[in-house]
Amino acid sequence: MNYKPDESILISYLYGELDGQEKEKLLMYFQEHPEELIRLQERANVRKIMGALNDKEVIAPPIFTEGHPREVYFWRSAYFKTVLSIAASFLLLLLAGRLLGTEVNYSRGELQISFGGKRTEKPVLKEQQILTPAEIQNMINASLVKNTASLSSGWADHQKSMDQSIRLNLDRNSRKVDDLIRNTSQVSQDQLRSYVAGLQDENLRIMKNYFQLSSTEQKKYVEGLLVDFSRYLQEQRNQDLQLVQTRVNSIEKNSDQFKQQTEQILAGIISNSTVKKNSY
Amino acid sequence: MHSDTLVARAREGDKNAQGKLMQLWYKRIYNFAYKFFFDHDLAMEASQKTFILMHRNIGALQDPGRFKSWLYTIAVNCCREELRKNKAARSRSIQDIMPADGEESHPWEESRNRNENPDELLRHVELSDLLHQCLMELNNDQREVVIMKEYEGLKFREIAEVLNLSENTVKSRMYYGLDGLKKILEKMNITKETIGYEL
Repeated sequence: MNYKPDESILISYLYGELDGQEKEKLLMYFQEHPEELIRLQERANVRKIMGALNDKEVIAPPIFTEGHPREVYFWRSAYFKTVLSIAASFLLLLLAGRLLGTEVNYSRGELQISFGGKRTEKPVLKEQQILTPAEIQNMINASLVKNTASLSSGWADHQKSMDQSIRLNLDRNSRKVDDLIRNTSQVSQDQLRSYVAGLQDENLRIMKNYFQLSSTEQKKYVEGLLVDFSRYLQEQRNQDLQLVQTRVNSIEKNSDQFKQQTEQILAGIISNSTVKKNSY
Repeated sequence: MHSDTLVARAREGDKNAQGKLMQLWYKRIYNFAYKFFFDHDLAMEASQKTFILMHRNIGALQDPGRFKSWLYTIAVNCCREELRKNKAARSRSIQDIMPADGEESHPWEESRNRNENPDELLRHVELSDLLHQCLMELNNDQREVVIMKEYEGLKFREIAEVLNLSENTVKSRMYYGLDGLKKILEKMNITKETIGYEL
């Protein structure tokens, strides 16, 4: 018999996963080759020994994930942002250059950057006149004299205009004061009298009204007071009468009682004397 | 372990469903990564990356029934990436041995084992470390297959799908992986008798 099982068949047998026919063939092979069975049993022993290796206890740690990966839009990508920022910077520079009128020139080996238009070159004096100190002193003196003259003339003019202005203001103010005084003095005695008479009339009217009002009120008050007093007196009299009536009633009652008691006593005395007479 | 409805909801962007899936699968993925690296930090890194990628890409998962193999595919890729990054500095950090910040006990004094015998605990930790070292002796291809089959319980078909290989290739790697482990265990003199472990 040329049958020789390969490793996969032997392993399948070891793990009990071999089918019927193949298993029978293998068992027959083991009968013929017991050493192969022993070798397989040795492997089974290895499995048993290795089975002593137990699991390690572990607790699952918390794992935080960001969920679904976020979709990065084109306009949010770093590349786009970089390009956009460069373009914006360039545009800003252009705009600033336009607003400031920036010009960049390169001529005769020099670079010129100008803002606000082209630079106009000042004429360069070809020759400077050389002046002596005396000439300079004279020039200064002349300039000082000229300056002093112009200052003094200006000062005089200024003084004159000031004087004129003050005079004019004074005239105007005095005229206003005169007008005011004149207006005040023109108020007549009649106006004053009529004003005082008006005041007196007004006071008289107010006083009259006051007295009228006051007398009416006083009258009402006195009448009320008299009515109240008469009511009080009436009430008092009624109460006195009731009191007198009550007293009289009480006296009557007492006299009746006294009379009865007297009668009883007399009756008692009479009856006692009658009894004594009978006993004798 | 999960329902297709949960995966379908997660695919539709339901954050609660995604969180629930993570809670359900974190321990499995972490242990896969831990056995692959034998390093807590790298395993944590790979696990977290796996779930971040799961969160980002679950919408693209066509068949909710293939979620398991899809998740392990991501995990394998993350582990490979971490391995590439950390190839130069492949050593065990002192943090694995010393107690972590805020913890007073050593890794082998885990709370679930406090009622057990300390000697037994220590022996268990040592044995685990030894077996881990044995696993680390395997090459990456074989280690991936062995871990997925032995510890993650994936079927050969699922492993083939995860690794984008044929089933026969996966079985072959498993065979040679077990063969390699047998030799490593023999070399390290680890047998049922020597470890005194009741298998």
